[in-house]
Formats: sequence, structure tokens, C-alpha cells
Amino acid sequence: MVDVAMVGAGQTKFGNHPLGLKGMWAEAIEKAVQSVDNGFDSTDVEEAFIGSIAFGGSQLGNTAALLTEHSGMEGVSVRRVENACASSGFALRDAWMAIKSGQADVVVAGGIEKMNDLSASRKRYWLGVSGDTEWERLAGLTFPGTYALTARRYFHEFGSTHDDLVHVSVKNHMHGFENEAAHLRKQVSFEKAQSGFMVADPLTLYDCCPTSDGASAVILVADHLAHKFTDTPVWVKGSGAGSDHLALHDRPSITQLRATQSAAAKAYKTASISASDVDLAEVHDCFTIAEVLATEDLGFAGRGLGGSFAREGEGRRNEGSVTINASGGLKSKGHPLGATGTGQAVEIFKQLRHQVEPERQVRDAEIGLTHNVGGSGATCAVHVFGRQR
Amino acid sequence: MMPLATFSDGKNHFACSQYGGDWAGPDGDRLTILLGLLKQLPAGSLNLHTFEDFLEFTPSVSVRDIIESSTDWRIDDEASFYLHASMSNYIVAITTSQVEPNWPSFGATSYDEEMKEQLQQQWKSEVEGVSQGAYVSQAQHTIATPSRLGLKAQVDRQQLVWPPRQLNATGERIESASEQLSETATILTWTRLSAAGAPSEFSGRAPILDGVSTVLVQFPEGPKGVFMLADDERKEPAIDASVRFDVRRLYGQDGMMHYGLKAMLL
Repeated sequence: MVDVAMVGAGQTKFGNHPLGLKGMWAEAIEKAVQSVDNGFDSTDVEEAFIGSIAFGGSQLGNTAALLTEHSGMEGVSVRRVENACASSGFALRDAWMAIKSGQADVVVAGGIEKMNDLSASRKRYWLGVSGDTEWERLAGLTFPGTYALTARRYFHEFGSTHDDLVHVSVKNHMHGFENEAAHLRKQVSFEKAQSGFMVADPLTLYDCCPTSDGASAVILVADHLAHKFTDTPVWVKGSGAGSDHLALHDRPSITQLRATQSAAAKAYKTASISASDVDLAEVHDCFTIAEVLATEDLGFAGRGLGGSFAREGEGRRNEGSVTINASGGLKSKGHPLGATGTGQAVEIFKQLRHQVEPERQVRDAEIGLTHNVGGSGATCAVHVFGRQR
Repeated sequence: MMPLATFSDGKNHFACSQYGGDWAGPDGDRLTILLGLLKQLPAGSLNLHTFEDFLEFTPSVSVRDIIESSTDWRIDDEASFYLHASMSNYIVAITTSQVEPNWPSFGATSYDEEMKEQLQQQWKSEVEGVSQGAYVSQAQHTIATPSRLGLKAQVDRQQLVWPPRQLNATGERIESASEQLSETATILTWTRLSAAGAPSEFSGRAPILDGVSTVLVQFPEGPKGVFMLADDERKEPAIDASVRFDVRRLYGQDGMMHYGLKAMLL
């Protein structure tokens, strides 16, 4: 079967971006094209998959066609992919499958979101549209609430405490501090993160990722074309995805994400690796408790041990057993919803090619992983990347 | 049930909120007071009479459906019990006469007058506002009313299912809700949301109430669900604590008031 290589990757800075949709997407594509070592002609793209929740409703229909029209890909076969915050993780998977199936040789996957020029009430609306509308939302829940319910239950079941979550926040801010693309480039002390403004008890401001503007894109090609574009492709060795009940109350357990477990198992299987082979992982830490659960569901920590994994610094860059969120994660790098999944892939692409800021480089990294979750765990896409085919 | 002040002379039954006739509470109105009163009385048939004219806002489903889904009472134009509501006070009555009764006066628990004014204004703004929040279609509201207001569950392979589903995990259709879940449930986890953490439907009321609480509970029969807490000003929820349920106002939107069950700490 065809192998898939990532030969280019680029993104805007995440945060409060001055450009609009077309400008941000064009910037991400320009950077992805410029990152291709031997040059790349965007008119060669056969298929494009663009993830977005729909940036505040400003262009709900035919989003993807508008964006490709403005980025040198006029006429390409294109579509918007929507799976909440996992939209571009699934766009990446769709692009991978298009090449794997032999239907296309040159494919773009990306994502985009513009959130910070919305009014407060409109932003709150769009941040909540991906949860269970009929029951959870009418009980007062959006994602801060659902993850707060999960955190309190996790503490109850496993004896973990909020301080374990504080360790996640402090680590990710430390990782993101040197990342020029990050939204929140500031170190946060343990004491400050402990005493943040309460958003959804027990989660404070420092447990919650920011809402960011941003766009990201990667260029995938079939194996026979890889070395035409670069001598150092990053291979997309494995891909897996899963889904689960939208609402927490329908799940057998709220302290593990079955969608992640299923996606990870498939990704590891297609990549022929296990969790212990992973050197660095970009995981979906929309809330600090989500990173704790992810370390367990991805197999880096045992069940109920995600809290101690965080407490003992197992995810710190070049210190722990696996570097978790070298970019700063959603907590520091930022979370432009639909752009987050391929944004994670951009980080892995640069890390495996030693192209990040020197102080951020994960040493001897051979295998990277991305983990992109939609909502409170209704959807999840996991990808495994390697320097070797 | 809703903390009510009640008065009965054997034939005529009156009720108002614990706050007296001037206020029905943070999420109460004449309809929620009526539902509380009906639950205290042996079920029978009721004539709505002019009751609907005394509601401040149009409910998203009919008053008949709300009463029949959340209590054992039935609405019947020929019934000999008549509903009444006071125009000037939040007092309701069930009498055997079509003539408006003489309204009794009730004592009241003290409350924050400023909070009352803010909440009343907020409800008005919400109902008058166009949706900036979740849109749940009229069909969804209507179909799910027995489950949403009456905790009616479906049966699928000897197991109770709630909230309602169309098909089960293997694609077989599940019959309509018919089984009654228990009136109490156990808290599995809970949170208290600030305005920043609350959906737009509730973000206007959250700061007035100093946050809104939500619990995930499990019923003795197995199903789980999430509910907002009501009447929790003086109590903090806890895992493994018990709750019961009452119909209250949930949110206002697009000219209508939406009602649903809220949990009360026992």
C-alpha cells in the first residue's frame, strides 16, 4: 500500500490575529509551500480538506472553496471538514486516506478559525455548539462545565487533586514560552496557577486554554513523490479515529475517553508501534484535566495514574518519559478550534526535522504523535509520525 | 417539591412561593407554583379556565402538556376543579368555582429585593431576545416533553433508557417512553459555573446568582442525566448526595419560556 509523506507544513501565529479568514489561510498555505525544500507548486494539489467549525458563522457554506480560491488552488477538489475541535485532525486523516487509497498523490490538509473578533455572546455561542445541545447545554453546560464535571469525578475516583492539574498548566506554559507561534507566551508560577479565577469549579482560568485565531496547513504526498520535494520527509506512519456518545451522561465512564482509546489503538496498529515508542506527543489539552486523561488513554500512563504522571514531570521536555505538548499545547500555544489538529502536525513536522527554536527542540526525537479531540470526547483523531518510513 | 406556602379550606387550595405573593423565586412563576401545588394534592382532572392568561411569557410547549407530563393530573374542559391565578400576586388556586376566589395573604421569607429586580429584568430580556444560544427545535421539545418534564424512560432489552433515543446500539427501534424513573437520584459529580463558564442562555443570570450549579446524577434504575441545581443558595452539592426534581424555568428565547426539571439537594 502507498505510504504517505508530509513534505511541507505551515501555520499562522495563534492568538489575536489581525487578518481575516482569507488572509490567515493564505499565510498558512504560503508558509507550508515555503517549507517544502525543493519547491512546490500549489496548482499541483489534487484534493484539499479544510477543518473548521465555521468561524462564528461568517461563511458557513462553501467555506473551503472560498479559501482555496484565495490561496492559489483554484479549481481543486475541496471540502470543509467539521468535527468540532477535531476538525482538522479529521481533515488530516481524510487527506491521508485519499493518498493511501491511491485516489490522489498530492493533498493539502488544514484548518482555520477566526474567533476573537466576535462579540462575547456570539463567541460563547460558537464555543458551545459542539456539545449536546438538547440536554447538556440546557443544564447549563458548555465545555468548561463538562470538563469540570470530569475533573471532580476523576479526583473522587483516583485521589488526584487540583494541584496535579496545576502541574500541567505550568509545564505547558513553560514549553510555550519560547514558541514564536504561541498565543500565550508567558511562564506561569505554580502559586499563580493554583489561585486563578474560578471558571467552572474546580477548573480555574489556568486550567482553560485560550480561544485563538489561527490557520494551519500541511502538504502530504504519495511515497513515490516524497523525495522530489525533500530529502527529509516526515512520514505519516499511522492514523486512527474514533467516536463516542456526545453527552457525558450516556457514557459508561466520564474519566476516560473511549474515542481516544479507539483512535490510538488504530493509529499504533497502522504504524506498527506502541505507546512506549513515542518520543513526543501533541495532545489535546483544551483543559488541563484533558491532558491528564489523554496521557492515560494514549497509553503513556496507567489508568488513574495521569495525575501522578503530571505531578512527577513525566511530560516535561527532555526530562520525562515522553515530551507532552512541546509546543505549549492548546493551553499556551492556543486553540483556534478547527486549526488545532493540523497545527499539532506542524509542530511535529518541525520537531522531527529539527526546525523549531533550539531551546524547544526535543532531543533525539524519532516518533511523534498528535491527538485531536472534538468536544468533550465525541470524536478523536490520532496520528503517528516518524523520521523513518 | 418547590418550597411553597399553601393554604386550604378543604375545597379551595391556594399556594405561593416561599417568598410570598410578591415573587415566585429565581426560576419560578405562577406555572411552577401550580405544579408544586398539584404534586401535594391527590391527582384528578382540572379545567385550565383562564389560567394561561396570567402567565407572563408564552411557554414553549402547551400548559396542558407541561401539567400532564410532570404530574398525574389531567386537563379536562368538563372538570369540576378550576385553576385560578392572581393578576397582582404570584398566588395560584384550585377551586370548585369559576369565580375568582378571595386571595389569602401569605407570610414570606426575606429575599434580596435588588436581586429579584435584576432577575425579573433578565428573564424579560432573555425572552425578548433572538437566539444567541442553543436552538432546540419545537419538535424536539414536544417529543421529549414526557422525558424532560416527567422523567419517563424507554425500555430496551430489560434496561431503562433516558434521555430518549430513536434506535438502540444495534440499530433496533426503541418504543416511546413509558416507565417512570425514581423521583430521587445520586450525584456522581458537580460543578459551579461562573458567567465565563456558562452557556450564553445562562450567562446573564449567572452573575446575579453568583454562579449556577450543574450536577451529573444517576437514577437508581441506571440512567444518568445532567440537571441545573435550584434552591442551592445555602447548600453546596457533594458527590454521593441525593437530589429530587422540580419543574422550573430553564431559559427564555425567541419569545418563549422553556421549562425543564431542575435538581434540589435533599
